[in-house]
Amino acid sequence: MSEGMIVGGWNYVIAAYTITGAGLALYVWSLIIRLRNSHNRDED
Amino acid sequence: MSQRMTRIHLFGLGGLLLIAVGTFLGLFVAPPERYMGEVARIMYVHLPSAWNGMLFYLFAFGFAIASIWQHKPKWDALTVGCIEVGVVLNFLLLLQGSIWARPTWGVWWDWDVRLTTSLIMLLLFAGVLALRSFVQDAHRRATWTAIATIVAFIDVPLVYFCVRWWRSLHQVQSTPETVSSFMVWPLRLNAIGLFLLTIWMVSQRARLEMIRHQQEQIDEPARMAPVGGLENV
Repeated sequence: MSEGMIVGGWNYVIAAYTITGAGLALYVWSLIIRLRNSHNRDED
Repeated sequence: MSQRMTRIHLFGLGGLLLIAVGTFLGLFVAPPERYMGEVARIMYVHLPSAWNGMLFYLFAFGFAIASIWQHKPKWDALTVGCIEVGVVLNFLLLLQGSIWARPTWGVWWDWDVRLTTSLIMLLLFAGVLALRSFVQDAHRRATWTAIATIVAFIDVPLVYFCVRWWRSLHQVQSTPETVSSFMVWPLRLNAIGLFLLTIWMVSQRARLEMIRHQQEQIDEPARMAPVGGLENV
């Protein structure tokens, strides 16, 4: 069954999912901060 | 909050929900791949990032043409929204690909045609964002952004078709018929989920650009006015 198959590799999978989640979360956070700042500036 | 905004937020929430289910299926239900084993699970984030990144670059291309055609700020705002989110997905795509390449190809990076054209795609669209940050005049900024977007888009079909046109380490596109349904479903759910989330991100980025545009319109007469303010004019 495992002949010729890469064994293990969960660390790579976890790294890829973590980087993707963190990257998207950071971008969404930056959007929220920028929108809040522009609204604050609008009120000034 | 307007009904339209509520609908857009529902897109984002729906997207997150689909991604959560797709990720669960991809990590815990889908079987390991015949040759790549567990490492192939990276596919469930890698492919949705690639598809959505290129799709939103395509939308940016369409909005750029509309921006040149009609000179309306909303087309410029949507163009920059699609490009910025596309650049984020493009960057994540390269990182995921690099992590996947290490256990399968034995290297973090190779100057293979698919990888190289994908990197060029990232640099070109990041260049469009850099270019626009140097232009003060809103009308000129929109025109330059649109032209640069159209030029940058030339690389997108190259990225997609290069694996068929030239020899590449990267595999060619698969079809659902050649992939187990246990693998197709997490892929579909993550792709649709990321699509909905990307619509939300683009809408928020475009909204930010429209607010900036309105503020520039207000600031413009004040900047043009002589010292002492508008009341002296």
